[in-house]
Amino acid sequence: MECLDLRSRLDDYLDGRLDERPLREHLSACADCRNLVQHAQAVQEGLRKLSPPEVHPAFVDRAILRATRQNAVGAHPRVRALVGMALAASVVLGLSLGAFFSLREATVQTVALTIEKPETVRMVFNSAKPLRAATVSLLLPENVEVVGYAGQRELTWQTDLREGQNLLQLPLIARGAVKDDLLARLSHGASTKTFRVKFDMAKANTPGM
Amino acid sequence: MSTVSPYRKARPAELNFDDLLRPQVEYLYRLAWRFTGSVADAEDLVQDVLLKLFPRTEEMLAIQKLRPWLARVLYHQYVDSVRQRARSPALEVVGDTEGDDDPLDTLPAAVAGPDEQAEQGAWRERLVAALGQLNPEQRAVIAMHDVEGYSLEELETMLETPLGTLKSRLHRARQRLRALLPMEPFSGGKRVNG
Repeated sequence: MECLDLRSRLDDYLDGRLDERPLREHLSACADCRNLVQHAQAVQEGLRKLSPPEVHPAFVDRAILRATRQNAVGAHPRVRALVGMALAASVVLGLSLGAFFSLREATVQTVALTIEKPETVRMVFNSAKPLRAATVSLLLPENVEVVGYAGQRELTWQTDLREGQNLLQLPLIARGAVKDDLLARLSHGASTKTFRVKFDMAKANTPGM
Repeated sequence: MSTVSPYRKARPAELNFDDLLRPQVEYLYRLAWRFTGSVADAEDLVQDVLLKLFPRTEEMLAIQKLRPWLARVLYHQYVDSVRQRARSPALEVVGDTEGDDDPLDTLPAAVAGPDEQAEQGAWRERLVAALGQLNPEQRAVIAMHDVEGYSLEELETMLETPLGTLKSRLHRARQRLRALLPMEPFSGGKRVNG
């Protein structure tokens, strides 16, 4: 076996599909190929040892519950507000809490909305430690609805925040021109943070958005 | 040919769904994490898959090997979500605060561990970062073949992708990972010179 053969058949070797005898003979005489094989094996070993963080204890129950209740019209509306829906596009808002929160000045970002076209706004809450029973409130401006909650301008629910990123998906739809901002308020104990989302209807009408 | 128990068919879909999916959620989460490299994204992905699957509960009752079938659904959802996100605008931090002494601002960050843990953590971060450089299809083939142990032939059926495409995808993914992850961290950390 030559170096070129080995390199072209390295994947087969890693997958145990190669006759090992000629390969071993080559490796015993070629330090470059030996290093290559060791490197490849070590990368694979590293990947196999890369274990995911433990699943959040409440996640399994919560995920099953949300999936089974999605179709139950009107059931548990506050839970449904957290549920991701298969909509056309999504917008990500990063909202940091805890030690990583550094902004003091109110910063407003803009989300483009098209009238009567659902848009998922994804909010990521970064929390420096787990927070139990945090309260999330949404104050919606006139003409903006959470999909499935027609006419509700205020939605409130309690949720546990885990350490790190916590994702909230909001399927929103504009029913007409929007003048005001959406306020998302996160409370825990005596602490409150309010985040502001502005809507841009003009941008939303740009073709291709 | 699989059959569906009349008893199970007669039960409420919620119970059947729970029976079928509850034992699989941790597996799906693990695979989703290997796809995405993020707990939040993995949970999001699994949730989206479960939402899509609930209306298909009766269909799932007839599937004998559910786990590979679920892995395929998860894979397609993952690839779709990455493409969809790539087309969407990503906005930065939005926020204002109420009160300068907000306890939420002063919560302790994660405590750094001993040197070894820090090294392992750094290595783990590098691996995750390297995986993040792969495209979603490459990342998925690494996760499903190199980590979860599905053969390429199994993946050919599961993902409905030609074997040649999978081989080429795997080859490029492994090559890219080796380029992104230099040799030293894998060598056991024992230097022989200085």
